[in-house]
Amino acid sequence: MGGGFRVLHLVRPFLSFLPEVQTADRKVPFREKVIYTVISLFIFLVCSQLPLYGIHSTTGADPFYWMRVILASNRGTVMELGITPIVTSGLVMQLLAGSKIIEVDNNVREDRALLNGAQKLLGILIAVGEAVAYVLSGMYGSVGQLGVGNAILIILQLFFAGIIVICLDELLQKGYGLGSGISLFIATNICENIIWKAFSPTTINSGRGAEFEGAVIALFHLLITRTDKVRALREAFYRQNLPNVTNLLATVLIFLIVIYFQGFRVVLPVRSKNARGQQGSYPIKLFYTSNMPIILQSALVSNLYFISQLLHRKYSGNFIVNLLGKWKESEYGGGHSIPVGGIAYYITAPSSLADMAANPFHALFYLVFMLSACALFSKTWIEVSGSSARDVAKQLKEQQMVMPGHRESNLQKELNRYIPTAAAFGGMCIGALTVLADFMGAIGSGTGILLAVTIIYQYFETFEKERASELGFFGF
Amino acid sequence: MARSASQSSQSASSAATTRPGVMAPRGSAAATAGMRRRRLGGGNTTSSSSAGGGSSGGNNMLRFYTDDAPGLKISPTVVLVMSLCFIGFVTALHVFGKLYRYRSAAGAGA
Repeated sequence: MGGGFRVLHLVRPFLSFLPEVQTADRKVPFREKVIYTVISLFIFLVCSQLPLYGIHSTTGADPFYWMRVILASNRGTVMELGITPIVTSGLVMQLLAGSKIIEVDNNVREDRALLNGAQKLLGILIAVGEAVAYVLSGMYGSVGQLGVGNAILIILQLFFAGIIVICLDELLQKGYGLGSGISLFIATNICENIIWKAFSPTTINSGRGAEFEGAVIALFHLLITRTDKVRALREAFYRQNLPNVTNLLATVLIFLIVIYFQGFRVVLPVRSKNARGQQGSYPIKLFYTSNMPIILQSALVSNLYFISQLLHRKYSGNFIVNLLGKWKESEYGGGHSIPVGGIAYYITAPSSLADMAANPFHALFYLVFMLSACALFSKTWIEVSGSSARDVAKQLKEQQMVMPGHRESNLQKELNRYIPTAAAFGGMCIGALTVLADFMGAIGSGTGILLAVTIIYQYFETFEKERASELGFFGF
Repeated sequence: MARSASQSSQSASSAATTRPGVMAPRGSAAATAGMRRRRLGGGNTTSSSSAGGGSSGGNNMLRFYTDDAPGLKISPTVVLVMSLCFIGFVTALHVFGKLYRYRSAAGAGA
């Protein structure tokens, strides 16, 4: 990018049109933050139940089925796109900036502003693009059926929903709320899913009379209506087509295990150089990168699924396409396909323990893939995100902190003993837990559970810290 | 005295870990790499470590758009009101759509 021209400057004319939430000019009290967070959450929840106006049908194959968990989107509702625009634009810009295609000098204020503007602009463009693509590809019925007016209305609704998600996320991040909008929405979506699967009152007729969808409700319903109580219990615990009690228990178990592991950490003592007697600690958690490995891993896998599904629908005879993945309509309906061959099949979790016993190679490959992908992503992430040993050492040095018993130059070496190991091993643990959750059939896929639990735990930590700092302000 | 020193170092982590009075064991342990910045108001968004323009902020919660940018400034209340208006608008569309269809069906029947 020699000379005066830089790609980033192309964004400048649009900068003044982009909506921008004011930064909080005062410290927002904890109570107010909770209120803002709850209202945002409420808006998100309403949006993800409110059907789009003007759509004709949402039946037919759903190529995005596998991405919905991490993208907090709901089919046929205003939140059809979920957080896709934000995440995609964020990742793309990160990639561009990281690979030096766009030059950004992070120390220049204007550059950062331009990068943010570019991200937001790209997010909005992606929202529009996806909305148009959805409507034109006939996800809601063909354009002829819908009528031009309705088609435009649908695009407008999706576009506005995208802007609202962007604004809500920004609102939460700018210090008015707790955590980040994206995490909040993902976690809510997954939790909603779990609660629904446990307590859903809808009945489904599966040939043996009406059955409740929710696992807990079905348990009581079966126990009350069936005469043979043992059979009824077995049915409630092991029914295959609908969520059963075993799945629910597995979910709870995974939840507890993850919380337990979150507490694992190595605490390095640090001491302030100029203020004597100030002792501190720098904890290095086992889950150093938290849920990032699985977010990245599932982003990779879901993109692969998406491409593979599209290719398979168009050119199902091709050898390379089949190598990538063969797809079949799911027997239990729901309009989504499941992979039955190729790479896509081998990186999908086996559906049950019986399936695992029947195809041990599949299970083994899946396990190896998950563990290595998570470890690798975790190690990459610390470099990308600036939490590697070098960055942490620099930060500690800026804060005038030293480790007692080590020279200052040794700090990085000392940190280097722990951080990469913690990252790689932690990533592997996260991967292993995901696999475990999948094998036990936890509700909402292993990835989903792990994401939800780690996000909730982060929120818990934020809560504690907010409360502590609040006390600090008033306690002194 | 100790408090002001750590406050001025402008990093919530050091503030939380080095303030002896406040330091509940949980709070100090929770001061992890991920949650370090931005806790004490908006003042520290300009520190260089938080730059990165988003998810690369050394933070494990996905964060984009953290910095200030010139643009159409709107206050948080406006965002919330705007969202509610949007929800109301879509609901109204549904209602009118139903009414319209009912009317036209009745008109065709008569």
